[in-house]
Amino acid sequence: MTIPSFHLFVQTLILGVLVGGVYALMASGLTLIFGVMRVINVAHGAFLILGAYLTYELFQNFQIDPIASILITMPVFFVVGWILQRYMLSRIANPEKTSVLVTFSLALVMEGLMGIIFQTTARSVTPSYTSEALMIATYRFPVTRLIGFGVALLIILLLYLILQYTNLGRAIRATTQDARAAQLMGINTSMISAFTFALGVSTAAAGGSLLSIIYSFNPSSQADWIGRTLSIIVLGGMGSIPGALIAALILGVMEQMTAIVITLYWSPIVFYFFLFFTLIIRPQGLMGEIIREKG
Amino acid sequence: MKSKILKLMISIAIFSLLITACGAPATEAPVVAPATEAPAVATEAPAATEAPAEAPILIGASLPLTGDFSDPGTAADKGYKLWADVVNKSGGLLGRQVELVIYDNASNPDTAVADYERLITEDKVDLVVGPFSSKLVIPTSEVAAKYGYAFPEPAGGAEHVFDRGLTNIFFAQPAPSSEQSIPFAEFILSLPEDSRPKTFAVITGDDPFSISVVESTEKLLVEGGMTMVLKEVYPADTKDFSSLAAKVADLDPDLIVGGTQFEDSVGQIKAYQQAGYQPRGAMFTTGPSLPKEFDEALGIATEGIFAPISWFEESTIETNPEFVQAYHAMYGADPIAEDSANSFTVGQIVQQAVENIQSLDNALLIEEMHKATFTTVVGPLSFDEVGRPKGSFMVLQWQGGKIVIVGPDFAKQADAIWPKPNW
Repeated sequence: MTIPSFHLFVQTLILGVLVGGVYALMASGLTLIFGVMRVINVAHGAFLILGAYLTYELFQNFQIDPIASILITMPVFFVVGWILQRYMLSRIANPEKTSVLVTFSLALVMEGLMGIIFQTTARSVTPSYTSEALMIATYRFPVTRLIGFGVALLIILLLYLILQYTNLGRAIRATTQDARAAQLMGINTSMISAFTFALGVSTAAAGGSLLSIIYSFNPSSQADWIGRTLSIIVLGGMGSIPGALIAALILGVMEQMTAIVITLYWSPIVFYFFLFFTLIIRPQGLMGEIIREKG
Repeated sequence: MKSKILKLMISIAIFSLLITACGAPATEAPVVAPATEAPAVATEAPAATEAPAEAPILIGASLPLTGDFSDPGTAADKGYKLWADVVNKSGGLLGRQVELVIYDNASNPDTAVADYERLITEDKVDLVVGPFSSKLVIPTSEVAAKYGYAFPEPAGGAEHVFDRGLTNIFFAQPAPSSEQSIPFAEFILSLPEDSRPKTFAVITGDDPFSISVVESTEKLLVEGGMTMVLKEVYPADTKDFSSLAAKVADLDPDLIVGGTQFEDSVGQIKAYQQAGYQPRGAMFTTGPSLPKEFDEALGIATEGIFAPISWFEESTIETNPEFVQAYHAMYGADPIAEDSANSFTVGQIVQQAVENIQSLDNALLIEEMHKATFTTVVGPLSFDEVGRPKGSFMVLQWQGGKIVIVGPDFAKQADAIWPKPNW
């Protein structure tokens, strides 16, 4: 155990917050989908990795900057998400109970296919600014993480604005609160579900692009990432985007701090302890509402 | 509904294929196969020119062609295949052709163990040769021992490889891991007082080979009067080194000693760059020894980095120039990785032992490998009773985008750069 110097403490806090922002983007789609559809998309991690590979291929073959490639990958994933929801998830009877199994199998299929197509060698996208860092006072902000943080916040903000201030957003929120009542008010809830799922999957495309410049990844990394994003939305409160943001920042900071004070081995352990204790005190998560079974 | 789901699965598959049509580089090894499928790597066909009267000699191995060790694993694969090719072109072994059966274990020790079980019991190979790195050699050598097979291996030199009472292992490099960094430590401690580093940090992955090398380095440096300011062991699959790098940067040791395979050496260095940490010297166990991949991943940041190494391309040791020539004829002009030379060495040991005793009997081969001295591309090799080689390693340094041997004197190509330039 080491007590970090003040400088190291602040530096680690910076790194934790920056990475937490990226975690938040990765988790936002997952929590959005759950909020509206009560479906836990276990394939979310696989979509993140697929997004990362797509970014990698665009960078390697067409020299498209990984951040710019979000403009390509997000619409593609939106369409994929839409098709998946319309032609697969919506056809499952009792989706709240069985969707975990279906999306889990989807995750396994995607991991297997990615293994075949991309091999299992770890990859990362390395634009020219990979090794650079911005200096503010004596603190260093790695450029890739700074960009990742900025882009993540921007997308989460857009998501929030759509939900709060557009008719579509109102319809989504109405569906979240009570699907049957929303339907009676004339909302096409099946279209809303498809749209929400597509939106959630498209955030995974952006999350994957950011992941690809910060971490190395291979197809089996999906399991690691679904674990991390699921714990974030459980801690934040299932369905709450602000909750996911706060939980992601907590996870990011905790991971980095634990690595400094104890060792990297303890990072997940410390976070999960925190998660368990939070759930004992607040079973619905930090910002979650208690879900009542509707009769 | 089932058929619709099926259709959907297929369309996902097609989608993924489409988006990657530009695709993975064609040069890569074919796909990972789960252990139950056919060999991931095609077996080496006997030369078509002559029809051997007898069945070929089967030699089996499981290699990490994908996963964490895929870069060195693929290099080892090339060395084995080149050796089989050279042997077959010169008339084979005991007059029979050699055929390799190689499986991909995806860097997973469990898969590697299953592969060797299968090679010995189902494929009924005549001989087996080892995988890459101690982590896989330790469990697989026990499978070979169980069936009485000799286990010459290219890359498993950690102390734990030798301390289990097994007598079938032969480590085909000049020195075990615990002795590999002696020349490096001697170089550091021989620097003049005013430029010699005073402090160092050890940052290592949790891997038996890496730990074995860095801990012996640590011991030598501490005995030489240096102070270790930090020692961290991180999980082998760590991807995010930023907090570790911040911690190292905060302590600012003069020298960094990294216990790495390939991926994490690159991960560490990138994180140090971001953290603004500029040591006066840096050594990493595996990573810098991969001449092509290390350069591609880091570019000019490689300048001045040290690593222990068992072999170098320009070496004029007996049989090495022929190996180098044959390698380039088969694989093109790219520089040769040490790991290819190490697996080729395994082949040389097998070949000479079999020819010495004119038999494929594994018990006799084990006996012969303990007794004989072998002529190999890393120099004459002989082994002690548990398979530790009795020779010396060298130190490499990256200079001008290339690997240069800077010590010891018997192999020295150039003077070392000290301190190293910023990365």
